[in-house]
Parts: sequence; structure tokens; C-alpha cells
Amino acid sequence: MTNATVLLDPTAELSPVMRPRLARPASLEGRRFGLLDINKARGDVFLDRIEALLVRRGHTVHRYRKPRFSILAPTELKQQIAAQCDIAVEALAD
Amino acid sequence: MHDIRDLEDRGVVGVGIVSAEFSTAAAAQNASLGYDPAVVFIPHPIQDRTDEEMRALADQAFDAIIRAVSASG
Amino acid sequence: MKQFPDGLIAVVKRDCPTCALIEPVLRQLAAQDGLLTVYTQDDPAFPAGAGTVVDDRELENSYHLGVAFVPTLIRVRDGSEAERAYGWDRSEWEALSKLQGLGAGLPASRPGCGSRTQEPGMRARLTVRFGGAIFAARSIPVAPSADDIELCYERGWTDGLPVVPPTRERVLEMLEGTTRKPQDVIGVIPPDRVECSVEKAAINAVMAGCKPEYFPVVLAAIEAALVPEFGLHGVICTTNAVAPVIMVNGPIARRIGMNARENVFGQGNRANATIGRALQLVVRNVGGGRPGEIDRACFGTPGKYSFCFAEDESGGAWESYALEKGYSKQASTVTLFTGDGVAPIIDQSARTPEELIGSYAPCLRALYHPGQVVDVAAFLVVSPEHARIFHQAGWSKQKVKDELRPLLQVRSRDLKRGFGVDDDAERLKRESPDACVPKFRSGTLNIIRAGGSAGLFSAMISGLGSITIGPVTREIGT
Repeated sequence: MTNATVLLDPTAELSPVMRPRLARPASLEGRRFGLLDINKARGDVFLDRIEALLVRRGHTVHRYRKPRFSILAPTELKQQIAAQCDIAVEALAD
Repeated sequence: MHDIRDLEDRGVVGVGIVSAEFSTAAAAQNASLGYDPAVVFIPHPIQDRTDEEMRALADQAFDAIIRAVSASG
Repeated sequence: MKQFPDGLIAVVKRDCPTCALIEPVLRQLAAQDGLLTVYTQDDPAFPAGAGTVVDDRELENSYHLGVAFVPTLIRVRDGSEAERAYGWDRSEWEALSKLQGLGAGLPASRPGCGSRTQEPGMRARLTVRFGGAIFAARSIPVAPSADDIELCYERGWTDGLPVVPPTRERVLEMLEGTTRKPQDVIGVIPPDRVECSVEKAAINAVMAGCKPEYFPVVLAAIEAALVPEFGLHGVICTTNAVAPVIMVNGPIARRIGMNARENVFGQGNRANATIGRALQLVVRNVGGGRPGEIDRACFGTPGKYSFCFAEDESGGAWESYALEKGYSKQASTVTLFTGDGVAPIIDQSARTPEELIGSYAPCLRALYHPGQVVDVAAFLVVSPEHARIFHQAGWSKQKVKDELRPLLQVRSRDLKRGFGVDDDAERLKRESPDACVPKFRSGTLNIIRAGGSAGLFSAMISGLGSITIGPVTREIGT
């Protein structure tokens, strides 16, 4: 049997098949940003500038870097981001 | 985009910055994940840009990034 | 239904010794021009030299032919089946094929083997694949690189523990556990007030880990939970710690192997664990009752994963809860009541019923608050060793209740406001501080038997109860 797995929806199907994004905050005031560098060339320059612009708006900014661009971020790194940040910006995939 | 999904599952609002070249690949991946993370596209290519050009791209993308992570956007 | 050409059809597999034995017979039949088509279930090279041999390893033809045994020989006439024979029997095969001298030198008959379509789980797989099984529920494809259990988490379908991924095959098998139609509506599930079909219940029962034979109990539990007197909406939304508790009575409890004895409220029994969980998953997924959203419980309770057990009906010295409620011994029932958890009463020295109820009373009076008489209910669970003390003294369950009643009084001066406003209690407190009021209003204290054979214990399951909200019993159907 080579059928692709299909699951049947156990819910009332009130929400769309595509999962919604996490709700966005009404205001960004006081929100902590994490900039996640996926470790591809030139991304650091881009993120340096984003950091400067965020700091100018009064945000706390933490910087993170994946060990390699082609892998998933390690769990510890994601735990650290979740503990320290409200918003994450991941850059720069090309 | 897996990272953004994982971070949102952990309660962190996320946005990915992706070169426009990858818009089709990102859409295909999203369809199979059943998830459509916030993405800001910037013009391709990246690797050969000068520092000055990279900073200009960041300046251009900044408003879109802010819109992608806030409800007012 | 697939059409098959006129002539003879033989369905075989190499793995079957009878099929291997009759390989020469198949060659004899194949020698008749255009007469025979062989479908082979496991090896396209078998049978050798038997003319038209169709590779049916995917079992599509075997499924459409409804083959249960191999070898099966079928005569198709005018596009439909005229005759069928199972196993090898020379006279049957000769009659069916209208040929003489089949299988000279072979034994006159040999029983066959099970068709591969009968392998465990195969029927559901084939029905989904070839039988056009139709589901009302939305299909969610799992990407080849994705983990289906993780997908269930990501979609928010679980209670925190892994669920069994609800594939179409598993749901189909679950639906075979009931005679009810998939599209039948069981009722409207709070808090979102959404109709729950038998199919939606089956999907959630699969995820909970139920076997199909448990499914009628799950359906009855959902029905009971939706009776207004149970107050499911309140149970979901309350800040209290209550969970819906499911108690099963009657022969089905033994039939599906439910636990009423050792560790009755604990882990380890599949039926107890998964039936209770199925109801909770229906509330979560169909009704939308999720913690942090509409579920405002302050503490909650581990029972909100699952709280389900069978009453111990052995011995028969006391009638069961279901008999008390007027159901017959042959009836199987579910009773839904609200429960916070299990609080033990330990009395290892009492030798008489009087001593024992003297231990029960102060424990029961203290439930929720020694001064609370409003909105409190309880199931008192008597273990076999405590029950023996009552049985030996000839105390019926009713006598225990009658003797307990005067001990379960609260002085009105000590009354505490309940969850709701109770003006009568407040006035009584002012005007007659020495008057007594019962801890449990009529019907809000129930007594049942359960538990292991060793342990001089009883237990209390406290919960919400009032004049309008109380336990609900429903007979389990098919």
C-alpha cells in the first residue's frame, strides 16, 4: 500500500485547513526582538541594520545565529529565543 | 520556515526574510506544512551586494517587517 | 462494482498449501481456451503455466470479488456471479467447470486458507482504497516528510498526550463498532454548540486509543453528557476542578474488559483510560472546550485526561447504582457525574457498620468546606473489605444512607456560602443558628462499590451537584 497518509479532521472545522499564524500584538511597544541569523553570507549586514532601526525605536534586541543555514535551528536555540523574546525575525534565505 | 512555525508554537511571533527568488519554493513548502508563516521578500540576488546595498535593502524592508509582526499591520 | 468477464475465476496465493497442491488443476482449466482467469494474491509467477494470471498483490480484484478464502473458484455468467466454491473439492470444481477428471491423483478435497483480504486491518485499508469509503470530515493530508503524531499536536488536537492519528482506515474500523450511521447526529456539543456526528465521535475515539468494541460506550457517554441535567457547559467552563466522570454498569463492562477492582481509578486499563479520554477529546475538538480559553479551571484535575471506570457488581449483596436507578441487570449503562478527584477514607480498625459510618461522616462533612452544603455532591466508593463489614451485619445500601443521614448535618451557624447565592441559608443562619441542615441535599450523595480486594479503605469523589444539576444515566446501545 503506497497511499499517502490522510487524517480526518476531528474538529468542528470552524477554522481553515491552513493553521492561522500566531496572533499579532496590537502594539509593539516594549516588545523584545530576536534576530536569528541563518548563517548565510551577507545576512549579518542586513540584520545589523535591522537591529539599529529597532534600537532606534526603543526595542530590546537579542542576536542569535544558527550553526548552519541548511538545518533546523537547534532546540536549545529556540528555547533561548522563546525565553528572551516576543518577536523573532529570521534572515536571510536566498 | 520550519523555524518560524516552531517559534510561533512556542509563543514567539515570527517573520522570515527571504529573497524573492524563493517565493515559489516557500509557497510549496507552506502548502505541505499546512501553515503560512509571515514572510517579507527582498529583491534577489543577495550574495554579491555591497554593505551599502545591504543596508539599503534593510531600510526598504523594515516597514514590511514591522507590519508582519504587529496587528495594526 | 467492478465487472468481471464470463468464464471461470480462480483466486489463489502461493503461500496456501492447497493452492500449491492444485496448481496442475489450474493448468488443466487454463487449457480450455479463454475459460479461466487466475488472480494471484502474493506471487505473480504462481501458478506457473496457467494461462491468464493477473497480479492481484494490491488485492483490488480479490476485494471486489469478496474473496474470504483461497482457493476460490467462481463461475461468472452474463456478467454476474453464478456459483462459487471454496477450497479444493474435486466434485464441486468439476460441477462448476463442467469438466471431468480434474486433478487426477490429488486427494478428493482439501480445505483452503484465509484470503489475504482477511489479514488484520486489511478490510478497512481496501475499503478506503477501492471501496469508495466516503467521509464527511475534512481530509488533512500528511506530507511525506511529516510525522503524523506531531501534526496532531501542531493542529491542537491533543490533550497533551500523543493521540493515535485518525486515518481513514482506523475511523472506518471504529465506525464498525456501532450500528449507528456515520452521519447520525448525537447532539450539540458545548461550548461552541456544534453538532457532533457519529463520524466525528469515531475520529476522536480513534485518537483517544479506543477499540471499536468500546465505541457504543463512548456514544452513550456523549449522549449522557449532553442531557441538560448533567450541565456539561458548566462543567467545561467552571473555575472548579471537576471533570466529567463516566461510570459503566452492566454486562458490557466485563465484555470489553473494564476495570472495577484493583487500581480502579488508576492507570493501566485500556477501556477505562480511552473511553474517558474520548469524551474529553470530543469536548475539546468538536465543542471547542479548551483550557485557557473557555475552560477556566483554577486547578483542573488529572481526571480531565480521562476519568472512567466500571462499578464492581460482583457478589450482589448490594444492588448496583444502575439497579437503584431502575435499570435491569441485563442493561448496560453509562452514568455521568462530575468529579474532582479521589479522596481516600482510611479506617483500618472499624469492626462494625456503626464505627465505619462514624468514620465516613466527618470526612464527607468536610468536602469542599465543612460549612458548605450548596452545590456539593459526592460518590462514596466502598471497597470490598469495607463492604464486607456492612454485608456481614446485613446492612443494605439504603440502610447505610439512612444511618449516615443524621450524621451528615451541618449547624446553620457554621454554614458557608456556596458557589451561588443562597439567601435561605443566610436567613437561617441569622434566625436559627442552632438548626441543622443536611450536607447533601436529597440525592446528592451516592454510594457505589469498587476497588481492590485488599485495603480497608473507602473513597470519596466530590463534585458539583444541586437540585438542578446531577448524575445522568443512559443505556448503552449498539
